[in-house]
Amino acid sequence: MTNRIACLLCLLLLPLALSARNVDLATVPERRTVQLTIYNSEDLTLVRESRVVTFKKGVNPLQFSWANTLIDPTSVELKFRTPQTGLEMLDTTFPHDKPQALYWSVQSDADREATIEISYFTSGISWAADYLAIADIDEKTLRLESFVRVTNLSGEDYESAQVRLVVGAINLVEKIAELAKLPVGRLDELKREEYKDLRQRAARKMMAPAAPAPMMAMEMAVGAAADMDAPKEIIKEGLSEYFIYTIEGTETVPNGWAKRLRSFEADAVPMGVEYRYRPREYGDQLTRLYLLKNDTASKLGSTPLPDGVIQIFRANATDGQAGLSYLATQHLQYVPMGDKIELNLGVDRLVVFEQVKQKVYRDNLWFQIKGGNLYRKLGEDGLKLELDSQVAGWDEHTVYRQRIRNYSPKPIHAQIRRDYAGDIVFRSQLNPTLHDFQTVQFEADIPAGGKAELDYAVIARMGYNQKQNRVELQNGEAGR
Amino acid sequence: MNRTRLFYPLGVLLLLSAGPLDALARIKLTTLPVRERVQIHLDHPQATLVEEERIVPLVKGVNQVDFSWANTRIDPDTLVLRMLPPPADQPLDAKVLSVSYPPNENALIWSVSASASGAARVRISYVLGGLSKDFHYRAVADRDEKTLELAQYLRVNNHANEAYDLARLQTGVGVGFDKPLGLNETREVQTHRFAGVPVRKTYTSDPVKFGYLDRAQDKLNVPMHYVIKNAGSPLGTAALPEGKARIFQDDGQGGSAFLGEDRGPFTPPDDELELYLGLARDIVVRRTIDRNERQRIAGNLYRYDVTVKYEIENFKDTPATLNIVESVRQIRDQIKGNPDRDPEWRLGDGTLRNPDPEKSDADQLLFHVDLPARPAGGPAPKQTQTLRLTLNNEW
Repeated sequence: MTNRIACLLCLLLLPLALSARNVDLATVPERRTVQLTIYNSEDLTLVRESRVVTFKKGVNPLQFSWANTLIDPTSVELKFRTPQTGLEMLDTTFPHDKPQALYWSVQSDADREATIEISYFTSGISWAADYLAIADIDEKTLRLESFVRVTNLSGEDYESAQVRLVVGAINLVEKIAELAKLPVGRLDELKREEYKDLRQRAARKMMAPAAPAPMMAMEMAVGAAADMDAPKEIIKEGLSEYFIYTIEGTETVPNGWAKRLRSFEADAVPMGVEYRYRPREYGDQLTRLYLLKNDTASKLGSTPLPDGVIQIFRANATDGQAGLSYLATQHLQYVPMGDKIELNLGVDRLVVFEQVKQKVYRDNLWFQIKGGNLYRKLGEDGLKLELDSQVAGWDEHTVYRQRIRNYSPKPIHAQIRRDYAGDIVFRSQLNPTLHDFQTVQFEADIPAGGKAELDYAVIARMGYNQKQNRVELQNGEAGR
Repeated sequence: MNRTRLFYPLGVLLLLSAGPLDALARIKLTTLPVRERVQIHLDHPQATLVEEERIVPLVKGVNQVDFSWANTRIDPDTLVLRMLPPPADQPLDAKVLSVSYPPNENALIWSVSASASGAARVRISYVLGGLSKDFHYRAVADRDEKTLELAQYLRVNNHANEAYDLARLQTGVGVGFDKPLGLNETREVQTHRFAGVPVRKTYTSDPVKFGYLDRAQDKLNVPMHYVIKNAGSPLGTAALPEGKARIFQDDGQGGSAFLGEDRGPFTPPDDELELYLGLARDIVVRRTIDRNERQRIAGNLYRYDVTVKYEIENFKDTPATLNIVESVRQIRDQIKGNPDRDPEWRLGDGTLRNPDPEKSDADQLLFHVDLPARPAGGPAPKQTQTLRLTLNNEW
């Protein structure tokens, strides 16, 4: 058990300036509730905890300390939940002799019990999404499970905490972990504007709706467990540019531990298989991909998919008895709702992808005459074989054959993109399209056990002949 | 959090505690569900997937199932626990609620909710390092080197620091098989035996790939290969994984002679597997550039006429076929330097005019030349072949 954060009500009702004393008596109000809002894009967690404190009429010193934790001291705030009147926070003191502590002076107009809320930023608590994808044996549908894993390395145990996870990137000008190490007296070393910006941006909590009272959440969890405990639901809500996942009920994540919960599962998600040759994206290889969509038609799409590692398997039989085949592990980038999901499975060794350069020839040769501005084409009438004339421009024809052999037991669809720099004519009968001004795309379907031979010619206008920097598509025979 | 732990290389502990994880810090009673079935999937080129089935007794409510691994290289991110469907007469609904990862331990704890007390069959899968495989081959050619017997072996190397009493090994090639796999054990099994596989013995001259035996005398190396096409009966049904092949020949006396060994690449169906046997010393090939003439077309634009001459002698008492391989680019670079452009060429009227269309392209040319046997008691006949090339549009 690691509880390093303490809130003490000091029973010495002396002015704090005179508190250079050796004997103290204090009561330690326990946490009643705690809520963690964890951001995955930054090492940042907003902690809101409530405690019940008894105040006496007059000025009450209240000490809050956090030895060996990663709390940003500038972020600690005190609020009075109940009652909301009759209590006033007079000032906050950061004592020089206690580096990870502060004192609040609280003015109470009567002897009373009050519920206070303390909020602060800490680092060391993180969450990450991860995914498990199991394709069926036919690779027509896929089961997708999403998980969230909360890891607590903050130095503090958080018991029975309501956990909220923020999906989306926020901006911080300083890392909370760095602020945690910085004495409060040196915070003015930060530029005022930067500091203000930090607080404003990080404190987007203000935008968040009030969380359900933790006690209520616990009751809901107990109610659900009456018959059989079900995996906790993770409620997803959109908020500005962010998504907030709220884990049902409460969770205890001791310091040093991590906990993983299922975020959602979707069965029989429709998927397709495509083979792609895109050297800029996947390297110089024909790459196999699973393609699906994060939309409602695919039984997904209720939430964006946060960044995370995805493990991809394929079932070897419909009944699950033959087990799984491991296909790949990859990092899935953030997928907005409605966007496509591409799972890269790497090279399929049962699909052979070969490019053969079949022929090279040059024509349309132009000469620069005597190094001047006069250019003449080879073969023009009256061209003299000047010794000091130089080849200045030509068309270079290269004829290729793209062979694809499919030895897998399923028909495949292949999409090929090739980039060409310069003034290029791409001549073929492959019905190609331009992906961009210098990238040609063409496609082919190859039956199981079949082959495809895709012929095309690339005509590069070189030197003086180069007038453009783009690819032109021409329909025609590839060979001369 | 301190916990009393029972470690063994790969363990599944059922903690009979339905309380929070804090309870694990105290005395605990555990059951140790043994493996009922293990499958080891070796079909992925880089990773080995292990799946084990265990029967886990559960009590109604929330159960903690502790999985730990000491001194093994399990990738914890790949660990998956799946509940298998229960028998119809013992319905038991069990679900994984959460997974907890204790600090500084190779372990995790699944929280499993059960609708009733009973035994649940679970399948735990994970990617395991240190468990690798390789294939190797043994080829025995017959006396006339026309066919051979090819045996394929799988070798599983268990350096994962975990023993499996009985595991179903799935290689992705053919059907799986059941074998025990002990600690630090290497187990080898024959996965296929192909009899009567047609084989072609080839002799090759290729100055770029195999170089010269004696450069001063223009003598090329002439490597020998057995070429096995992965097509037709009995091959051609599946790819041949890469692996070392040891090559023998029937010695006609009930034994076999070792001819050499080579590392064969991954060979999909329809492709040829070439196994290098060493250099032939009884076939001599001398290669010279016999002619190199330059003709100016215009300005600095030239045409080159080049003739490559081969003088070939077969000292063997059997006929052979020589594969002559040339790189036109290498010839062009040799006679005029490398302008960093592909050569533009056409074949001239030399003796070598019909390159193999399947294995020739814009740069490489392959010709097959038949070599008659040396007559008994006579000298080896010498034959001369010429490759005439016109290199156009060079500057």
